[in-house]
Amino acid sequence: MTLDPAVEAPAPKQKARVKTPAARPARVVWRRRRGRPLLNLAAALIVTAAVLYAAFLPAGPLPALGPAFNPTTGAWTMAADAQVTDRTLRLPGLQQPVRVVLESNGTTHVVAQTDHDLFLATGYVHARFRLFQMDLMRRQGEGRLSEVFGKAALDTDRFELQLGLLRTAQLEWSQLPVGDPSHAALLAYAQGVNDRIAEAESTHQLDAMFTLVGYQPKQWTPIDTLVIKGDMTQTLSFDDTPILVALINKSLGADLTSEWFPVLPPNRQSPYDPGPYPKAATAPIETMRAVSDAEAQSAAAAYEVLESLPKGLLKTEGASNNWAVAPSKSTSGGALLAGDPHLDLTLPSIWFQLTQDSPNFHVAGVSIPGTPGVLIGHNQHIAWSLTDAMNQQTFFYLEKQDAAHPNQYFWNGAWQTYKKVEYDIPVAGGAMQRLTVKLSVHGPVIADRGLTTSVWWGGNLPSQDLGVLLRVTQATDWKEFRDALRDWHSPTHNFVYSDDRGNIGLISAGYFPQIAKGRPGLPMAGTGESDVTGTIPYDAIPQSYDPPSGFLWSANQWQVTPDYPYYLGTANFYDPGYRANEIHRVLSAPGKLSAADMAALQTDTRDFLASEIVPVLLQSLSSDQLNPTESAARDMLASWDYRMEINSAAASVWWTFWQSYLGETFDPWWKSRAVKVKRADVNAMLGQDLEFWTLTDPVNRAFSAPGVGSRAASDAERTAFHKAVFTLRTSLGSSPRSWTWGRMHARELTNLALVSDLSYGPRAERGDGNTPLAAGGRISTAGPSWRMVVDWGAGTFQGIYPGGQSENPASGWYTNLVETWWDGRLDPMLSADQAAATSGVATWKLQQ
Amino acid sequence: MRLLVTIVTGLVVAIAGVLLGAWWTPFVIGVAFGLVVTRPVVSIGLGAVGGLLAWLLPLLGEEVRYGLGPTAASLAAIMGFGHEGAIPVVLTLLVGTLLGLTGAWVTCAVRQIAVPKTR
Repeated sequence: MTLDPAVEAPAPKQKARVKTPAARPARVVWRRRRGRPLLNLAAALIVTAAVLYAAFLPAGPLPALGPAFNPTTGAWTMAADAQVTDRTLRLPGLQQPVRVVLESNGTTHVVAQTDHDLFLATGYVHARFRLFQMDLMRRQGEGRLSEVFGKAALDTDRFELQLGLLRTAQLEWSQLPVGDPSHAALLAYAQGVNDRIAEAESTHQLDAMFTLVGYQPKQWTPIDTLVIKGDMTQTLSFDDTPILVALINKSLGADLTSEWFPVLPPNRQSPYDPGPYPKAATAPIETMRAVSDAEAQSAAAAYEVLESLPKGLLKTEGASNNWAVAPSKSTSGGALLAGDPHLDLTLPSIWFQLTQDSPNFHVAGVSIPGTPGVLIGHNQHIAWSLTDAMNQQTFFYLEKQDAAHPNQYFWNGAWQTYKKVEYDIPVAGGAMQRLTVKLSVHGPVIADRGLTTSVWWGGNLPSQDLGVLLRVTQATDWKEFRDALRDWHSPTHNFVYSDDRGNIGLISAGYFPQIAKGRPGLPMAGTGESDVTGTIPYDAIPQSYDPPSGFLWSANQWQVTPDYPYYLGTANFYDPGYRANEIHRVLSAPGKLSAADMAALQTDTRDFLASEIVPVLLQSLSSDQLNPTESAARDMLASWDYRMEINSAAASVWWTFWQSYLGETFDPWWKSRAVKVKRADVNAMLGQDLEFWTLTDPVNRAFSAPGVGSRAASDAERTAFHKAVFTLRTSLGSSPRSWTWGRMHARELTNLALVSDLSYGPRAERGDGNTPLAAGGRISTAGPSWRMVVDWGAGTFQGIYPGGQSENPASGWYTNLVETWWDGRLDPMLSADQAAATSGVATWKLQQ
Repeated sequence: MRLLVTIVTGLVVAIAGVLLGAWWTPFVIGVAFGLVVTRPVVSIGLGAVGGLLAWLLPLLGEEVRYGLGPTAASLAAIMGFGHEGAIPVVLTLLVGTLLGLTGAWVTCAVRQIAVPKTR
């Protein structure tokens, strides 16, 4: 049967066609047209093959178009995913019904009748809103990014597998007793994540990025959670400082390197724990020695490896604030606490805000998607926040090898055989890559050129930090809080504390590695004499409780004075301390403080370094010949309040001057001595030196670099000022009043998948790297990732983070919190019951 | 009449298939049109329109239920087209159209070789 009207037409029509003069026998027509159908078929096959290929298979950066753009199961499901309404959901594994309240801004409240259900529901909620982010984070730590992103991610995967986050996580999981509450929490959490994966797959509502990249998430395991904990530890504590110093030492010599990269900070610091300290018999740190050619070669190899890694994998400069104020200095009569951890600012954010309520947990704050607990927040009695303690947690060792002992290294008087671990790295669009990781007693070998370099890293110590965190969230007073932190290992953090009885405290919990002998600021001999021998006793680590001053603060500064007997690190592991000094200045001022003052200090833009240096600069310029533009710039500095505000032109002059001053002082050294390390990598330390010399040693030899002749600080300042004004005039125009900071400085919240059009900004922003409102660099991509202010006297809890609860860019919760955060405002942190009474909430009933 | 029934049936099957996640249904329907409707211009046209409708109507359904504006803008951003939300919409409809069109076209082309019209 055919339905073609031409074929079904009456016979006369066909006959008529045959009878026309032009008509020819069928056989002849077939021969003449034989070429066209073949051509047509060839074209059809080629086009069809191309269409089917593009539809079924990914091609280069393009996903398989069919499943990706299918209107009902492809990326378009982002629209349905963005809708959050009242629902009743069935989750396998739940023991009792769970209520989830979602505020109109996305803040989530989980109310469960058992602890198991609390963590299961938390896993479900995290995965519902952040599954792609969670998958990226575990892939990063497990060295599986290449599997979905191809060979571009291979270097990162190799490094992570070398470093060993996965090995550590596997060890931690195997060592965790089955009866431990965190064991149960990890399993329940994984179940909740897997419930969401199953639901999303069955309803075709996996995050669109999975569809577009073209893969399905595998099942979640407790090890994945532990790997994500490792990711954070790595970002906050894996530090390449000794490698940099070794390379600088080779170029500048031991003498200058020792002076410019000292053990103790040269500048003024504001330690929160002034002592007295316990006595300790510790080995003195050895003086700086010259680095050999072979050592320099191995340092260069390690530097090459570490420099090739994407930004954010290694610890760079520290930047977090927290402080607490006692009732004696509080307008409300209760203790105050403020915290703003500074991390890379991404969309989605590293944080997910929630409250958790179950028989044994009543906690509110922010959690990291992929992990079951609240990291920063408060419960009914205590509040806490964190800053990075910054102590040295990464030690590099040069292994002694010999051709007569292949695959061995000399340690503790005998030849030891390297352990080897083999990994197969799947690569999207490429062949499987085999990686062999060599492990010495110190840790993984990360570079094999010159001398073999291995690394001891605190993050590789198996530790049950999640269990610690759960106990912290249950603590009701300082003793329980402090006892819980006794087992916290890495990364070391300054945990600030306040409670509902008016107590405040600060403790730098974690592992503080001590070595037998050597110079840990450089790579050390791997033969045993410089090994890590243990940590500082818990009672001797930096800490303070209810100090007479009535306040405590940390901002990555040195926690202690030079009298402290234990080794913490060299000065360049720590922050220069300008934020800490500014916070200390504000908190120590006479008068009482309110929660509003806490919020204002979190967004304080006063540059402490500028307040020290600008008066000196003005003095130097007083004897200088200035042109009208320079005079105008100088006058603006003279009347400036040192605040890095968007509309401040003086702020631009200061910032440009300081960059110019650094360059004027150090670039001639870098050039004449051919230093292999980028100066920008060590600017924080050089800035401390420059600050110190400018204020107290203006004829330091550093100002008289080879080729510039004999100079003092004031000469360099004047030259730098002239250059700075010239730079500003060239880039921003001839009117100094128009050189506003907002024209030079912006902030960007970067999309986690590096889709620039899904990022926020760049947008003009106040602050700089030295201000409590941290915003370093011309376009700042890191800063206050969460702000929290707690006032126990008024009973108010407030918080905000830049971003939104959902990773779905089509969701109203993708960037809805940004404006509030940008304006320096805070949202109330409500309890589940308070939230349920507000308008616009959605409620999920989770049932078995 | 039978032609109309065939067209409607094909469209319903194609749309149902897409709604159920079988996004390739328009190609199959295109093949069916190519087999059943022997006049190439007609069958290929039907395949193309069928493919277009099979992807367009579910997309319209999503638009009515959820609103696709932010999603289209997000997809455009992910694909590197800024916030030009029209581009992913056009691309989506193009995929559906081409699936139906090629299904019908390749079938007609084979049919022309295997069953010459004038024979």
